[in-house]
Amino acid sequence: MKLPFGRTTSSPISTGHSASLDFAQPEPVDLASGKYVKLWQGPQHPGITGNMSLELTLDGDTIIDCKTHVGYLHRGFEKLMERRSFIQNFTVVCRIAVPEPTFNEYLYSHAVEEISGIEIPERATWLRTMNLEMMRLASFLMWIGGQGGAFGQYTVANWTLAYRDYVLDLFEEMTGARIYHMYIVPGGVRAGLPDGFEGRAREIMDGAEKLLDQIERVMFNNTVFKARSKGLAIIPPEMIDPYGIVGPNARACGVKRDLRKDEPYLAYDQLDFDIVTGTDSDAYERAYLRLQETRQCISLIRQCLDRMPMDGAFQADMPNVLHWKVPAGETYVKAECTRGEYGYYMVTDGSELVRRVHVRGPSYTHAIAVMERLAVGNNIADIAGMMVSLHTYPPEIER
Amino acid sequence: MNTVDEILDYAIDQEQQAADFYEDVAQRAETAGMKKILLDFSKEEKRHKKILIDVKAGEHELSPEQEVLDLKISDYLVEVEASDNITYQDALIIAMKKERAAHKLYSDMAAKVPESHLKEVLEGLAKEEAKHKLFFETEYDERVLMDN
Amino acid sequence: MNLKDLLSPFFVWQRAFEKPYTSIRPTIDRPGAPAYRGFHINIADTCVGCGSCHEICQNHAIDMVAVEEYLGREGDSGLRPRFDYGRCCWCGLCVDICTAASLRMSNEYAWISEDPTVFHFTAGVDDKPWQDNENGYRRAEGYHLYPPKRIEMEMLPANESVSSFEEVVKGYSEEQAKKEADRCVECGICVATCPAHMDVPDYIHSIRDGNYEKGLQLMYRTNPFPATCGRICTRRCESVCPVGILGEPVAIRWLKRLIVDQVDASDYQRILADTITENGKKIAVIGAGPGGMSAAYYLRKKGYAVTVFEAQESAGGMLRYGVPSYRLPDNDLDKDIDYIVSLGVEIKYNTAIGKDIKFEQLLENYDAVFMSTGLSVPSSMRIHGEDHPRVLSGLQVLADVANGRDPGIGKKVAVIGGGNVAMDAARVSRRFDAEVTILYRRRISEMPADEEEIHESQEEGCRIVQQAIPVEIVSADSEQQVAIRWGEAEMVDDPKGGRPRPVLQEDRMHTDTYDSIISAIGQGSNLDYISKEMHEEFAIEWGKFTPGEYQHTTLEKVFVGGDFANSTADAISAIEDGHHAARGIDRYLNPAAYEEK
Repeated sequence: MKLPFGRTTSSPISTGHSASLDFAQPEPVDLASGKYVKLWQGPQHPGITGNMSLELTLDGDTIIDCKTHVGYLHRGFEKLMERRSFIQNFTVVCRIAVPEPTFNEYLYSHAVEEISGIEIPERATWLRTMNLEMMRLASFLMWIGGQGGAFGQYTVANWTLAYRDYVLDLFEEMTGARIYHMYIVPGGVRAGLPDGFEGRAREIMDGAEKLLDQIERVMFNNTVFKARSKGLAIIPPEMIDPYGIVGPNARACGVKRDLRKDEPYLAYDQLDFDIVTGTDSDAYERAYLRLQETRQCISLIRQCLDRMPMDGAFQADMPNVLHWKVPAGETYVKAECTRGEYGYYMVTDGSELVRRVHVRGPSYTHAIAVMERLAVGNNIADIAGMMVSLHTYPPEIER
Repeated sequence: MNTVDEILDYAIDQEQQAADFYEDVAQRAETAGMKKILLDFSKEEKRHKKILIDVKAGEHELSPEQEVLDLKISDYLVEVEASDNITYQDALIIAMKKERAAHKLYSDMAAKVPESHLKEVLEGLAKEEAKHKLFFETEYDERVLMDN
Repeated sequence: MNLKDLLSPFFVWQRAFEKPYTSIRPTIDRPGAPAYRGFHINIADTCVGCGSCHEICQNHAIDMVAVEEYLGREGDSGLRPRFDYGRCCWCGLCVDICTAASLRMSNEYAWISEDPTVFHFTAGVDDKPWQDNENGYRRAEGYHLYPPKRIEMEMLPANESVSSFEEVVKGYSEEQAKKEADRCVECGICVATCPAHMDVPDYIHSIRDGNYEKGLQLMYRTNPFPATCGRICTRRCESVCPVGILGEPVAIRWLKRLIVDQVDASDYQRILADTITENGKKIAVIGAGPGGMSAAYYLRKKGYAVTVFEAQESAGGMLRYGVPSYRLPDNDLDKDIDYIVSLGVEIKYNTAIGKDIKFEQLLENYDAVFMSTGLSVPSSMRIHGEDHPRVLSGLQVLADVANGRDPGIGKKVAVIGGGNVAMDAARVSRRFDAEVTILYRRRISEMPADEEEIHESQEEGCRIVQQAIPVEIVSADSEQQVAIRWGEAEMVDDPKGGRPRPVLQEDRMHTDTYDSIISAIGQGSNLDYISKEMHEEFAIEWGKFTPGEYQHTTLEKVFVGGDFANSTADAISAIEDGHHAARGIDRYLNPAAYEEK
């Protein structure tokens, strides 16, 4: 079938590039010839998911080369953490990925707990699980808006971004803040659920479910959206492992990979859900998969509310954090964030400061290597939608 | 002693005698610290005397109705002598007992006279002495009965 | 392209009739959630200025500043947190760590001012509209950033402790002590409260580091009786420890004890490395109690030749003769004293001033004299029949036991009093297998004795009868016994302030018979060794000295300290008096060193 903008569904990658994974340098282009145009998309551009930029070389409307540039958000979190006490760091890590601070809070805390041998109480595992799923919901809502917006559907963007604020209201109630929750702390969480939280949370979940149905009708069952996203930026199966592709980007390719199931953490082994997978591996497939995962979030939050113990300790016995020395050790802990495996590698030396922390965010590969490869051969008009379909957050590239 | 003035004169004289008594013991006391305490007691008695003189002159009123706390500490203590090497504890006991005796004297007298201004004055004097007794008993409670 | 996909998006029109998400008018206030982390609130009266908020703040957004109103309050640094909102990240860790739970946050988050300096403010002191806001973030119940409970101390069970003079408190293990030391927030309020101003946070830090030698050095800077104080100190430090406001105070006393227990006496010389350069001047110290020995130690370190005159056959004063060995074993007291003696301090035992040597002689022969003879004379009850041979004094019973003599108390004993001497006499009597009743004029809560001692005496089976006023001692049927008549008391508030006063209820009198009655109602000083003429030289009131700034008296070259020269009458105050007198004596004898340069 012939699709608009000269793409076909037959080839996994719609350009003359072969699907093989050779890293041969492209032919240098002669800009002086006047045949090509070099164009910077970003760092200030609504189609870029955060502050990074793409250096595009165009032949007409077609991208023949893409280089990514990062560094606009570099704040040196990993280094900052080496100069802060173990308790102070938990207020820093949330800033590593602004739309998803909670995964950072959880993984940092978990790494510290792992090395110091702290076991958190059961209630804390449930509260953490629910907090993480709420975060996933908020993040997906924002993403849906981004994907819609990238293809000109700002109505959907307005709906989801506004509804995300209702989820942030829940965060505000539960944690005391809307964005930088600082709720998951080494040793457990900072508080139980406030009075009446459950009812309000269920109400907002019901509303979100309704909204997602509407979005399916308006955005997914939409000729324009289908036309622009189907067949766009197909990730072939052979790219998955060499490129370190994880999360929905991999699952849309049929790879059944989800840490919540593969290596269950927190309360995930007690929740009912299945890994959602797709087959087409194009922008539409990824978007549709994320819509289904957003629905799954709502189900998981409801399950948490049903099953979590409503009283009991939510924090393990802690040493005095003012002079807390974590024993020497190292660990790598990981969790499934909205975009796949998120990991913290931590080394401690027995002092009051952490020796080294390395944060592994999925955006590192998705936004750089994968993006550079997928962009080539596409039309300039699709580049924003394509990038959003990879769901990347530049701040976590630069830690 | 039948008139109010006579009674007050008697009471004033009693206070002066008490003041003289402490001064006398102070003269004989062996240590400087003890002398000072006894002279303080004497000053306290002179203060009492001044109050009564003011009462007589009509510048101060006795208040027979007021409640004065009775700790009853002195009631059960032994009599002690005002010897040359008197201790702080014994000096306080003497003082408490003196005030207690005065209080008893005026209350007994008041009980014997019929309702009158005189009775009121006697009752007022008794209350005044009870206050003095409380003062010394409180001192005793604080300084001697430290651990009790 | 199918028709359905073309029509489906028109569904958006349905939303045109729904209520919008946004406010119609943007000026409508939206309050933060009830637990929102907004602007800071500090209940300045509850705050003790421990500075933990300042310590935990990663942004250095909190400075501790002196607030006039709170300076000089007991157990209060007088400092209050000042916030710099140019730095704050609203993480709320300051609220979480607050030891007094005085710091919290309001749910207000909008503050507009043209003056940039206002965003730097002292919460709870500078008036802010949100100070009384009931909402906002506060530390949740059950959430702690330091362990609120102390590590439990292992003790001899009461049924074992009553049958021996073995030390009741077993002491922490190194591991337990490290955990307990971890609870310290290092505020230093204890340093200000300790009469000797011991460097508590630093020696606790040395325990966390396992560096007991450093801990010992730190302690000896201000207190040459750490083994003793580690056991029997009145520990006012613990009563002001901010960790104790919401939980239990750090067990400062037991931690001090651990340091000493970890260091062998034979290593003291090497660790403390006290080098002495003789300065040729001689000091006489009267009384080898904690005050005298403390003065001797610090004077010796300054190079003075110190001679201590002690009427008893051993040094230690009340620590040896008044504190039973199940609280302070002799060898631990000796550990402290032996080190002081090892520096060349001479003690003349069995030498009573006034009897063996005249006080005036000391004044003549020495460059300065420090007196610290304490309160050694038990107060008499002065009730009828008190001279009965079965009426004993608490101090005498304790001294007998310390000297290894049988106090001869019989099998049924009444102890009169509620101080530490009364509790010790009672617990010693239990160890001689006597059935013990403690009669106290006031209520247990008003007893001057250490709370632990009261508790332990009850554990060991002493019966406390509160509000019992002894009225008379009467002979019993047997000569080996004695009876006491006592009456019940009602507590009456003193209108002039002071502690409530017990008033005898004469209609509720009782008479009980005992084998002996131990009176422990208080002690006074014995100043007989000062001649009548010399008395004139001193300002002594109620048997006590009121020393000057450097523990000096009205008589040149005489300095005083200890129980008869302070209001607290405990070992640690005596130790500080001795230390301070040593400074005073040095200033007096070596003024050149103290002149302003």
